[in-house]
Amino acid sequence: MSGAVNDRRRINGPARSVEPIYTPTVLDSVAKGRSDGRGLDHMRPIYAKAGPISDAQTTASASGSAFYEQGSIRISCAVYGPRSARKPNARRAHFVCDFQYAPFACSKRSPTQSTDEHETSLWLSNTVGPAIRLEMYPKSSIDAYVTVIESDGKMATLAATINCISLALADAGIETYDTVAACSMGLRDSQWIVDCTHQENAECSVLVAYMPSVDEVTGVLQTGKTTLEVHEQGVQLCTNVCVRVYAVICRALQASVE
Amino acid sequence: MTSLILSPSEQDFITRGVEKGFRADGRGSLDRREVTLRTNMISQANGSARCRIGHLGLGTDVLVGIKAEVNTWTPGEPESLGSIVCNVECSPSAAQEFEGRGAEDLNVELTQTLDRMFNGPQSGIDMAKLCIIPKQAYWVLHVDALVLDVKGGIVDALVWATRAALLSTKLPRVVVESIADEDGNLQSEFDVVDDAEDQVAIEGVENLPLSVTFNQIGKRFVIDASEQEEAVTQASLTVAVSPQLEICAVQKGGFLRGFPPSLLSEIMQTARRVARDEFAKFKELYETAASNQTGDEPSTGSTFLGAF
Repeated sequence: MSGAVNDRRRINGPARSVEPIYTPTVLDSVAKGRSDGRGLDHMRPIYAKAGPISDAQTTASASGSAFYEQGSIRISCAVYGPRSARKPNARRAHFVCDFQYAPFACSKRSPTQSTDEHETSLWLSNTVGPAIRLEMYPKSSIDAYVTVIESDGKMATLAATINCISLALADAGIETYDTVAACSMGLRDSQWIVDCTHQENAECSVLVAYMPSVDEVTGVLQTGKTTLEVHEQGVQLCTNVCVRVYAVICRALQASVE
Repeated sequence: MTSLILSPSEQDFITRGVEKGFRADGRGSLDRREVTLRTNMISQANGSARCRIGHLGLGTDVLVGIKAEVNTWTPGEPESLGSIVCNVECSPSAAQEFEGRGAEDLNVELTQTLDRMFNGPQSGIDMAKLCIIPKQAYWVLHVDALVLDVKGGIVDALVWATRAALLSTKLPRVVVESIADEDGNLQSEFDVVDDAEDQVAIEGVENLPLSVTFNQIGKRFVIDASEQEEAVTQASLTVAVSPQLEICAVQKGGFLRGFPPSLLSEIMQTARRVARDEFAKFKELYETAASNQTGDEPSTGSTFLGAF
């Protein structure tokens, strides 16, 4: 809800305006198949590009950049670094993610940053951080700026963000142990389905960020309640799909070099 | 977290100790420090609790107050559900670096962690019962947590205190009247009963989860890390478990390393096992706290801080 947010940096719209109310679409049960015809363990098609997005070299000042699409999720990431940090005596690089939704990215418009974005930034640093060889860049900082241009499914967008940042980091030439691949799953009708869209509102979701070569899970996030067995099944399935996402990211990186 | 500076030999001492199963204070790797719980000490709040993990003077101290307010429904919000809004603030009395905007990152992280566990059906609370009149008014439970001291294990202390506070919360009773107006439409009005004796507990609070935080130090993990152990932690995993032993939330923290999937699985199994004992311990402490507040202690300011 926009409410009466007085944002002095912008020319404000009317003091109160609400999103139009749509009649909610009732989805069929999972047994009848998904609304876009995907299989239960199929991700949306991924398009990933590492390197400056346009020929005009608009992101030329960034060390690395990436553009990532997954169905209708669109994310752009720019990585700056390693550059000198404020703390001159740190033995490790300071890795910071800055996560931002474009105001038109979600179904509800929000022009100012919410705590959700702030926390996601912190969480992303914790999820992608383990992959970076921070001790190779003392006294420096590595910054990843992520802008979600279009979002479709909260957990799926988070997973896509991690993939995008990994791609941008590799494009920047920052030394990492491995590329982090992430994917999310939602629980509907007691079945785990991969990569839920916003419409496929799952009551329980799991997100796993995984480094296949090192066999390490760098990030786990679960929202919603489920039994331990179902949770473990979800995490296992998620990890398997992450390996497939990893292959896609690596191919995109290869393509950017050729 | 507070940046405790440890020398390399101290770090090595703690890491190797944990790998051999020894902790600096003699606990086992799955033992929690002593927990002290007090409830209903804030008269202005609908419910409150204070939780300290660790002994007096060297523990993580959290104070949670619950205030229930009636909110008017606006189009776009769920039509017949109440809501829980969490807010965590780290007081500068806990650490000097929390002064001004220093604690902002930590506040946001802790707020979202609590929100992930408590705001929604996964908390076990019947959100539909918090609705007063659909499409008109609903209860908002403001969970405000104040962190008074940080000595490791902040998330667990927050969750314990929040659970105790919500268990002790009493909402005023609401009387809903439906009157037919001139067009024959049914208009509903509600009245909040202003009687301190006529209050109800929140439905479903017995299903609230407790959290266990596992910190990985070296090759092994420990529960309820002290400040020193947190400084050596490479990765942590917070698992929220409900009394029915379901997993309500999982969150990984720490940016230095990840977990191999087998260790992750082991931690989840341990979480469920440990949760059983945690709930038993919580129940005991809560009942002691609830029975203590009937006026044995003098209700002066010094009691609030001193005898705790």
